[in-house]
Amino acid sequence: MIKSLQFAAVVAVGLVTATGARADITVYSAGPAGLINGLAKGFTEKTGIKAEVFQGTTGQVMARIEAEAANPKVDVLISASWDTATDFAKRGWLVPYTSPNAANVPDFLKSETAVAQGVSALAIAWNPKSGTPKPAEWADLTKPEFKDKVTLPDPAQSGASFELVAALRGTAGNWKLFEGLAANGAVVAGANAAALNPVLQGAKAAVFGAVDYISLAGQQKGESIEVIFPASGTVIAPRPVVILNWSKQQDEAKKFVDYMLSDDGQALVAKAFLIPARSDVKADRPVIKDLKLLEIDTDAVYAKRADILKEFGAIFAK
Amino acid sequence: MRSPGPVVWGAAFALVVLVLIPLSFIVLQAIFPALGQGSLSAPFTRVADVLTEPGLLRMTRNTALLGLGVVAGSAVIAVPLGVLRALFRVPLAPLWDILLLVPFMIPPYIATLGWIMTLQPNGYLTQLTGLNAGPYLFSLWGVVFVMTLGAFPVVYFAVSRTVEAIGGRYADVGRVFGASPFTAFRRVTLPLALPGLMASLLLVFAMTIEEYGTPAALGRQSGFEVLVTGIDTRVSDWPIDLPGAAILSLILVMMSLGAFLVQLRILSRRSFETVGGKPQAFHKRPLGVFAIPVVAVFALVSLLAVGVPLFAIFATALSKTLSGGLAADNIGFGHFRAIAADENGAFQALLNSLGLGAATALITGLIGAATSYAVVRTQFRGKGFLDALTVIPNAIPGIVVAVGIILAWNQPWLPVTPYNTPLILLMAYCCILLPYTVRYANAAFRQVGDNLEAAARVAGATPLTAFRRILLPLVLPSLISAMLLVFAVATRELVASILLAPVGMATISIFIWRQFDQGSVGLGMAMSAVTILITTTIPLAVTLMSGRRGLM
Repeated sequence: MIKSLQFAAVVAVGLVTATGARADITVYSAGPAGLINGLAKGFTEKTGIKAEVFQGTTGQVMARIEAEAANPKVDVLISASWDTATDFAKRGWLVPYTSPNAANVPDFLKSETAVAQGVSALAIAWNPKSGTPKPAEWADLTKPEFKDKVTLPDPAQSGASFELVAALRGTAGNWKLFEGLAANGAVVAGANAAALNPVLQGAKAAVFGAVDYISLAGQQKGESIEVIFPASGTVIAPRPVVILNWSKQQDEAKKFVDYMLSDDGQALVAKAFLIPARSDVKADRPVIKDLKLLEIDTDAVYAKRADILKEFGAIFAK
Repeated sequence: MRSPGPVVWGAAFALVVLVLIPLSFIVLQAIFPALGQGSLSAPFTRVADVLTEPGLLRMTRNTALLGLGVVAGSAVIAVPLGVLRALFRVPLAPLWDILLLVPFMIPPYIATLGWIMTLQPNGYLTQLTGLNAGPYLFSLWGVVFVMTLGAFPVVYFAVSRTVEAIGGRYADVGRVFGASPFTAFRRVTLPLALPGLMASLLLVFAMTIEEYGTPAALGRQSGFEVLVTGIDTRVSDWPIDLPGAAILSLILVMMSLGAFLVQLRILSRRSFETVGGKPQAFHKRPLGVFAIPVVAVFALVSLLAVGVPLFAIFATALSKTLSGGLAADNIGFGHFRAIAADENGAFQALLNSLGLGAATALITGLIGAATSYAVVRTQFRGKGFLDALTVIPNAIPGIVVAVGIILAWNQPWLPVTPYNTPLILLMAYCCILLPYTVRYANAAFRQVGDNLEAAARVAGATPLTAFRRILLPLVLPSLISAMLLVFAVATRELVASILLAPVGMATISIFIWRQFDQGSVGLGMAMSAVTILITTTIPLAVTLMSGRRGLM
């Protein structure tokens, strides 16, 4: 028994040393996995610096950073929610940096300590084979044709969904649209993928406020799905990149941000069907200037986040 | 009963490192909100808010309801099947054993997704038969149904193993004294099988209240919130609330310990020794006219527990697009080709998980045997505590175990740490899965008579030799069953893996989850299919090589 334990320990140590090559920088990134793997690979080819990646949802990435706080590991963080960048800046955790490649990034997609990697927008994702008329507006999904046919991503699990709910509800707190959806049998269905799958299979007809790039990627793979941006307006979710001030490789981390904003890096972003942060990089999809954006005072709505989520939850709990 | 020897000390050391240290950090986190920043300020400030929160009572009640529902459901399905399998010659018995092993290999979140894709409107059932059972699925009963189908094999294998070990012999004695067959079963066989039955029901209860995927996918839409979904919200929603998650987890731990105490009370009243020194010849009885109905029941249960999820997994994996549905022109092997071409590191993920699964099975097997020996067969102070330590991990949600492990092993003052190496995943899996081997071995040790070990000692064997040469071989069948289970569950563990995986390392479950998260359901299902095939083949090969009569 003792011998076997010793053996196990030896095997384990061997395992560790075999895979324990030190990474030059450590990047924690919210999805998509293909994009961050491509960026890490391209970065290493370009600079010779290794980038080790941990990828999860924004929530998982944040939980790991929070639990590691006593002895943090992360050098560069890519979140799917601008809110986290603001919050980290307030805590004084971020290194101020403006990349030379950020010149063509519009001002609203960068701050002293953060810059967008790319941007996603929320849309109606509609299955043309669902036997429903093509919707054009958010309110169309409250019509009888869409009875029991609509899913919504949970605003408690997705920052962008929350902003859409907050923006559509307006400053006055008019919940009529959402009450209409709830009365029409719409269901709140977990994270983005969980809301989209029933629509692809035809159990539902449309997602109210789907993250566009997942649906656009599905469309390219031949899925029966269309992405519709309502003319009345939608919200966008810039994905901030930040450098953490505890990083011991800040110069290398800055090079990673430079690479991500380079022509090559932004081309990878566009390939993942995200809107590139740089306005001079071409994308094969509607970009920010093609979209009407809803007015939203992010500071004000995030201050009331718990209340808004509670009111939203009460409407759909009926 | 003997005094503790090296076996006991080894077990105690392993339990302290694997279970007590992470658990202590969860308790500390519940007390000290700023523990993550390395500060012990403001103790107990969060406990009151979390415990007085509206909705907590409902979540706790729902959790208990769900746990008891799945325990009852599993017992109803598994006890009759296990007893039939143990005492009678059931036609095609090896086939049923293999089929009922498969639910272990199907990750719960995949099985749930499979059921959703089958039963939701326009799902596979509608496409095949025009029926739509969607409304029933998204409810408490749907959650209990799907989770029972994933959990009952734990009870089935435990019952069929222990009842088989008791054999017909003791019941035959009852028959000689004039008891009817039913009375002999009720008064003799069933009570003697209690340790195995209770141990497996305890496992089912603990794993049910801890499981996240199924209640989240099926329950939330109908407003059915349990403690785990509450914990997940606290851990994944910025600002992250680790203290709140830790406090809710401790409620789960207390529920599990409560179930454990109930089990101890029931078992402490009697002796369960059935394996003495005498050789036993045991012949199973024929089923006679009941052969066909019994086979029909086995077939129906296998169809629900294995057939439906596997059909959904393979149908999705072989569909070019999800929206194309079940149509001839939509069949394609593209997803399997993508895995064979090793896109996104599918191979490496497979190798990582299989290696980790095998190592976890070996280590938990060793520790499980040693701990059960210590708890059942020796006398020392604190053995109840040691036994309780082996139940707790099963009740803590994987994500909280992961947080506890990070807090414990990522301290800046540690000279060396397993954190951020594959070793940390191994430690997490061992912690989460120890209950399986300990519960199974515990039940087996309770059945072995004291006189065998005493005889060995009289003949001059050291305690270690007696353990190795006499006891271990007798409990080995149960232990191997548990280790195969551990292997299967470790290769698919998701929640702790995601949070703990060293940077740049993926496991099977992480790979699958990423495909789902990015909308590539087909690729994720193809990987699941490959994994289920591999993890089912390996235990089969082990069984065939070891030449045992039946599986598990």
